[in-house]
Amino acid sequence: MATLEIINVTKRFGRKVIAADNVSLEVHDKEFLVLLGPSGCGKTTTLRMVAGLEEVTDGNILIDGVDVTDLPPRKRNISMVFQNYAIWPHMTVYENISYALKLKRMEKSEIDRIVHEVAVMTKIEELLERLPAQLSGGQQQRVAVARAIAVSPKVFLMDEPLSNLDAKLRVSTRTELKAIHASAKATTVFVTHDQAEAMSIADRIVIMRHGKIIQIGTPEEVYDKGANIFVADFIGTPPTNFFDVELQRNGKGLHLVNSYFDLRLLPENEARLKGYNKDQLTLGVRPENIILVKKPKSILDTTALVVEPQGSHQVIAFRLGERIIKIVAPALPKMEMGETIHLDFKQESLRFFDPESTLAIGD
Amino acid sequence: MNRKVNKKIIKAAKDTVFYLFLTTLIAGMLLPVYFIVSLSFLSTREAYRYPLPLIPALKTDFELTYGENGYMLSVWDRTDKEYQTVLDTNEVEKMEVYIKSRLGTKITQEEIQAEIARLENSDQESIFFTKPRSLLYNYDTFFKVTRDAVPALIRSIEIAALTILISLSIGGLAGYAFARYIFKGKDALRFSVLFVRMFPGVAIALPMVFILARANLYDEPLGLSLIYSVGAIGLTIWITASIFMGIPESLEEAARVFGASKFKAFMRITLPLALPGLAASAMYTFLGAWNETVAAIILTQFKPTFSVVVYQTLLGAQGQINLAAAGGIAMALPALIFTFFLRRYINQMWGGVTV
Repeated sequence: MATLEIINVTKRFGRKVIAADNVSLEVHDKEFLVLLGPSGCGKTTTLRMVAGLEEVTDGNILIDGVDVTDLPPRKRNISMVFQNYAIWPHMTVYENISYALKLKRMEKSEIDRIVHEVAVMTKIEELLERLPAQLSGGQQQRVAVARAIAVSPKVFLMDEPLSNLDAKLRVSTRTELKAIHASAKATTVFVTHDQAEAMSIADRIVIMRHGKIIQIGTPEEVYDKGANIFVADFIGTPPTNFFDVELQRNGKGLHLVNSYFDLRLLPENEARLKGYNKDQLTLGVRPENIILVKKPKSILDTTALVVEPQGSHQVIAFRLGERIIKIVAPALPKMEMGETIHLDFKQESLRFFDPESTLAIGD
Repeated sequence: MNRKVNKKIIKAAKDTVFYLFLTTLIAGMLLPVYFIVSLSFLSTREAYRYPLPLIPALKTDFELTYGENGYMLSVWDRTDKEYQTVLDTNEVEKMEVYIKSRLGTKITQEEIQAEIARLENSDQESIFFTKPRSLLYNYDTFFKVTRDAVPALIRSIEIAALTILISLSIGGLAGYAFARYIFKGKDALRFSVLFVRMFPGVAIALPMVFILARANLYDEPLGLSLIYSVGAIGLTIWITASIFMGIPESLEEAARVFGASKFKAFMRITLPLALPGLAASAMYTFLGAWNETVAAIILTQFKPTFSVVVYQTLLGAQGQINLAAAGGIAMALPALIFTFFLRRYINQMWGGVTV
């Protein structure tokens, strides 16, 4: 397998639209890298440039150290799973999988062996003689994956391959995809807008927005240490809760204050904010880091607006000024709508952001 | 109880009206076709009878008696239900010609002489005999008698094929461009290709005579097919563009990723999938070029197309409606055969197979 390097790549459509803006990243050998971002962030364009389906305006793409920027797709030694699968409807499953191998002028017996091998791997042995129209969406997706594995590419590209599946199938398929990746050991770039999918499948996640890379990191890193407000908001369900607070220093220490609560920071958090000179701060707290406590210990008392039982846990929403805040609490004790709740923040996982630049502070 | 009966009556009435309507509609479409097919098999004598016989006869009944000038030949008339005298002569050759050409019946001079001998040898006033009809007599005559019918047929096929070739290669490529590429003035251009079709053929035919004459293409099949292509290209662009739009670009991209060049991806993936649409537009083009008469009359002189020949038969001095009918059927037949071969693809386009 191989490494993939994207060096200062820019893509412009016409004069005004910049789909990818000076994107640089490196995919390690056998790594499963996920490009994550909202629609229109440039993740698919970046993938298509790697595939050679989109011309690069500026910059270079290297596969295994070889510059492939100007090579046509067929000479890049890549394979791709498309969002709509792009299975050729006039060919049987077998023909779909073997097409690329035939173009490589492989021996018939060799082609046969490979097709059956990948068919077993993707559990479509029984479907080889069928036409795509006779397959379900999930089966078509498997064929697309089988076709992509069969060519044993250096880099394996996937453009939202799960987004056309229904919710349940999506979850089970992503587990299988990960298993296939583990056995095929292919360097993989996977594009998705679904952060849960990205979290569950990726070795590393690249978060993009407006054509730029915002953060690159492991799922834990982007979840716990989001580089800015956008990442903290984008990753996690329910997303991070944000509070606009004022920094107040009195004799004893540093307080985060707004009209609803007055939070006295622990010394280690105080240390994190040492270099920060502004008065205003955006505090980010993950839903599971706002905890239910008994009355005297609470810093915030409010009433539950909505309670969503989830079986293993419950999501409690309440209103704080304009904002709806959501917290994740254990399933028991069961809360009721309108019930008074007493809350505290877990100090060790607070996130601080500069409200002007939206960047994280004190990491 | 009453209400139930009422409902039943209303339903029966509704059904009756519906089927009456349907039957009328189908009859309205099929009767003219039946009429012309039946007419093309009638003899010249019967073709001008009123009311017209509905079914062509398979044989002709004759009565032979003695007449003033020799022998009197009578024929059974299916409309009036009686024998009607048609000839009074002693010339066997005249009898033969009449029986063949006016009655479309197979007979030889020897057979006529044999019947005359039978009459003489018998002691009866008259004898009766029956001869088989030659059903294809009109078709035979049309191609024999009508000036240029066979070369015109070949010419028409040639023109239709050329028109398909020109309009499918230019229109198909343009359709692909409309479907796949974004360029300035695309919408205006797409509309303007139909603009060409808004002019009646006659209106542009006369200027075309001058243009074609200058290009040495007047009265040439290529010239005519160029004129037909002008309109056909527009329609081909519209049909093929929508077909290519229906084929996801990602299918081609997948082929390119998996080892094909751009051209090969088009040939191996997009083209086979577009075949139904291409076949449909080829059929439209064929029918248009095949049936077109007005421009062909103006733009040909010594090399008419088949439609012009049929038209002339209908109008000309030898004008016989049964001959014109035979010509019309002969003209419809290639179009039918062509459509028959393309039906698999055209059915696909109407939802038989999803792309």
